[in-house]
Amino acid sequence: MASSAPLVDHISGLLNLEGLLGEVIAGLLGSVLVAVIVLLFAALAGPYMKRKLTAAFTDRISVDRVGPYGILTIAVDAIRLLTKELIVPENADRPAWDLGPMLVVISATMGFAVIPFGSGIHLADPQVGFVYLFAVSSIASLGIVSGAYASNNKYSMLGGLRGVSQNIAYEIPLVLTGASVVLFAGSLRISDIVAAQSAELFSIGAITVPAWFGFVNPFAFALFMVANLAEIGRNPFDLPEAPNDLVAGYQTEYSSVYFVLFYLGEFLHIFLGAGIITTLFLGGPTAPITALNFIPGIVWFIAKVWGVFFFTQWARSAVPRVRPDQLLDIGWKGMLGLAFVNLLLTAVIIGVIV
Amino acid sequence: MSMQDEPDVEETEPGAVDYDALEDLLGDAVVDRETHLNAEAFVVRGDAVTDALSTLKDQGFDHMASLTGQDYDDRYESIYHLRKYDDAQSEVSVIVPTPRDDPSHESATPVYSTANWHEREAYDLVGINYEGHPDLRRILLPQSWTGHPLSKDYDQDKPQIVTLEKHKNPIEEDMEVEATGDDLDTMFLNIGPHHPATHGVLHLKTVLDGEQVADVDPDIGYLHRCQEQMCEKSTYRHQIMPYPDRWDYTPAGILNEWAYARAAEDLADIEVPEYAQVIRTMSAELTRISAHLLAVATFGLDIVGDFAAVFMYAMRDRDIVMDILEDLTGQRMMYNYLRLGGVVWDLPEPREEFFEKVRQFLDAVPEKTDEYHNVLTQNELFQMRTVDTGYYAHEVAKDYGATGPIARASGIDYDLRRDDPYGYYDELDWDVVTREGGDNYARLMVRMREVEESAKIIEQCIDILEDWPEDERDLQANVPRSLKPDAGQEIYRAVEGAKGELGIYMRSDGTDEPARFKIRGPSFVNLSGLHEMSEGELISDLVATIGSLDIVLAEVDR
Repeated sequence: MASSAPLVDHISGLLNLEGLLGEVIAGLLGSVLVAVIVLLFAALAGPYMKRKLTAAFTDRISVDRVGPYGILTIAVDAIRLLTKELIVPENADRPAWDLGPMLVVISATMGFAVIPFGSGIHLADPQVGFVYLFAVSSIASLGIVSGAYASNNKYSMLGGLRGVSQNIAYEIPLVLTGASVVLFAGSLRISDIVAAQSAELFSIGAITVPAWFGFVNPFAFALFMVANLAEIGRNPFDLPEAPNDLVAGYQTEYSSVYFVLFYLGEFLHIFLGAGIITTLFLGGPTAPITALNFIPGIVWFIAKVWGVFFFTQWARSAVPRVRPDQLLDIGWKGMLGLAFVNLLLTAVIIGVIV
Repeated sequence: MSMQDEPDVEETEPGAVDYDALEDLLGDAVVDRETHLNAEAFVVRGDAVTDALSTLKDQGFDHMASLTGQDYDDRYESIYHLRKYDDAQSEVSVIVPTPRDDPSHESATPVYSTANWHEREAYDLVGINYEGHPDLRRILLPQSWTGHPLSKDYDQDKPQIVTLEKHKNPIEEDMEVEATGDDLDTMFLNIGPHHPATHGVLHLKTVLDGEQVADVDPDIGYLHRCQEQMCEKSTYRHQIMPYPDRWDYTPAGILNEWAYARAAEDLADIEVPEYAQVIRTMSAELTRISAHLLAVATFGLDIVGDFAAVFMYAMRDRDIVMDILEDLTGQRMMYNYLRLGGVVWDLPEPREEFFEKVRQFLDAVPEKTDEYHNVLTQNELFQMRTVDTGYYAHEVAKDYGATGPIARASGIDYDLRRDDPYGYYDELDWDVVTREGGDNYARLMVRMREVEESAKIIEQCIDILEDWPEDERDLQANVPRSLKPDAGQEIYRAVEGAKGELGIYMRSDGTDEPARFKIRGPSFVNLSGLHEMSEGELISDLVATIGSLDIVLAEVDR
C-alpha cells in the first residue's frame, strides 16, 4: 500500500529523520513547502496577474510602473495594504469579526494538503482525501458569514447571506459531480484518482492520450467548472461581493490586514478550486500526452492550475452577473438535476456496461 | 358642460392649437390670457388648477413638460408648460398666480404624476405651497434649510444654522417603516450617496424585504449648485453659455448649449446662418454618441461587474469622438462651442483631415456596435438580467413625463429633433428609434440604435459641409455685443438632449440678464419614476435600472 504522507516520508528519508519527532519536523517542512508554493501563486495572481489579465481582456495596459512589466507592484501593494489603518466598525462582534477572514484563509490552505503537485510534492494522501478536500474547502462559507454578520453592516449582511445560500446551492452539484469521478476511479483516495487517469484513452501513432476524466466525461467536467465558479465567487456568480449592488458585500467593513486575508483567501480558493479541477479532471500532474512525461509533473500541475485561473478571470470580464434568484434557480433547478443525471448515468455505465 | 357643447379642438397641422376653443372649454377657470413666445398661456385661478389641467389633458396635452415657479414684486406664479406627446409643437401654458402673502394653490399631482417632483422643486426653491400635494418636502436643499433661495424675500447673508440636536440622525423617521399589518420584516438601506452603482451622488432611501425592494425614495440635491440662479446673474450674450456644459458632462455639452442657444435665439429673434446650423447639428450628434457610449459602458459595468470588457471597449470608442470634438472645439468636456447666432469658429484646418477623421470613425461604427451586441446584448445571461426588469409601462412613463431614450424604449414616439424641428435635422434622413419593451434591455437597445442614427446624421452633415461654398460659410449672425431682449417676453424651448427633453424657460426684463431662468433637466424627470420601475424587484434590478436610466446627477440637481 502506498504511503499516506508521500512528501513527509520523502523528506524524512532525505534528512534521515526518524521517530515521531522526525515525522513532525518533516511534516512541518513539507507543509511549509506547499504553503510557500500556494502563497506564491496567490501573491502573483492577486495584485498582479489578475490586473494584467483583466487589462488584456479589456484592452488596457494596467500596472507597468514599478519594476519590469510592473512585477514589483506586488511588493508595493503588499506594503500599501499592510500599512493601512485597521478600522474596526463600531459594535462589531469582535471574536467573530476577527475569525471570519482567518477561517477563509485556513480553509483554503488546508485543502492543499491533499492535492498532488507532482514531482513528489503531495503532503498527505489519506483514504478519504476526496471527502476531506470538499469538507475543508466549504469551511470558508462559515468565515464569510461570520465576518459578514459580525460587521454590523447591512451590505455585509446581505453579502454574507448571499454567500452562504450560494455555497450551499452549488456545493451539492459540485460534490455530486466530483462523485462521478470517484465512481470511475473506484476510490476516494486522491492518488488513486490521479493514477486512474494515467491509463491510455486512445493513441494516434506515437501520441498516447491518457484517460483524463475531463476527456472521458466532458459533461461532468463542464458542470464542475461552472459549479466551481459559484464556489469561488467569480462571474457570473460573484454575488457575495457584487461591487455594484453591495459595495463589497461581506468584506465591506474590512481594511488593512483583514482585507488582505479575505483577498488572499479568495485567491487561495481560486487556486484550490483549480487544484481540485486539475486533480479530478485534468490528470493531476501528468502530461497531456504520454510522450511529454519527461517534463516534471509540477510544471504540468502549475500550467493546468493557472489555466483554470485564467478561465476564471476571463469569465469575470466577459460574463454578466446573475441575480440572486436566478443564481438559486440555476443551482437548485438546473445544476442539481444535471449533477444527479450525470451521477446516475456514470453509475449505470460503470456498473452495468463496463 | 355636456359633451355636445364641447368645441372641437382636433387639429391636423402640427402645432396648430385652437386656443380660443381651449379657452371656452376651460370656462371661468381662466381669468386672463397671455402670449408667450412658444405658446399661448391661460391665467388660471388657484382653486381651479386641477380641473383646468385635467381638461387640457383630455384635449391631448398629456405631457407636462415643466413647471416654472417664480415671483414678481406683487405675486408668485407657477407656469405649467404642457405639450402633446403626439405633437410636440402643440403647446399651451397654464399660469397660476398667487398672492405674495400666501403663495399657495392647488397641486397638479392628481393630473400629472410628474408634477410631484416639479412642485417639490418649486416649493423648495421659490416657496410656493401646493395644496393637496401628497408629499410636499424640500427636494434639492436639505430638509433643515430655512427660506426659499429663488424668492425675492430670501436673505442670502443669513447663515443656515442646523443644530446638532436637529441633525443627530436625519434618517431616524425613515427607519421606522410603516407597519403594514402583515408583520413584514423589512430593512431600511441607504444606497448612496457614495455607492458604486449610483453614478454620482445619488442617495436612495430603500426599504428592503429580504432582497426585494419594498420602497425606494431618491434623495437628490447633493450636487445642487443653483445653476438657475447663476444663469440669472449672467449676461445672455456670453456668460451663460459655459454653464450648460456643466449640466450633462458625460459629455453631452453641445446638446445642452443648444438648449440655451435655441431658447435665447428665439427670445431675442436671432436667425442662425444655415452653415452654422449644420455644424451645430453635426457637433451635437457627436456629443450624443459620446454620451450614449458612456451610458452603454456604465450599464455594462452595472451588470457585468467591475471587470467588464464592454466598459473599456465603449470608453475606447468614445475617446475617438472626444478627440474629434477636441479638434473642433478645443476642449474635451466643457466645449463652450456654441454662440448665440451660431458657433464660435469654423471646422479645423485642414478641413479634409478633419472630415477624414470623422469618416473613419463613422465607418467603424457598425463594426463597433456589432462588437457591443456580441459581448453584451446577445449574451443570454445579460438578457436574463435585463429583459422584463425595470419595466416602465407606456402610460406610466407618459404620466411621469419621461422623455428621451427612456420614453422611446417604452414605445413613446417622441423626439424633439423630429417633432419640434430645429437646427438642420428636418433636412436630413434619419429615423427615430422606438421599442415597445419598456425594460432595461429596451432602453439599452434604443441607445445603441441611436448611436447608429446619430452616425447617419453626422455623415450627411459632413457631406454637406464638404460641398459648402467657401465664401458662404457664415458662422454667426450679427448679434449685438450687449443683448437686451424686450422686457416681459417669456419662452419655454426645449431640444432633444442626450437624456431627453432639455428645456429652458426664460423671462426677459429688458436688461442683459434673464429675470428667470429655469432648466428642465431630463434626468431629473426620468429619475422621478424610479419607484414605478423598481418596487417589487430585487436590489440587483434596482441597480440595473438606475444604470439604464442613465441619469447624470449634475443635471438632476443642477
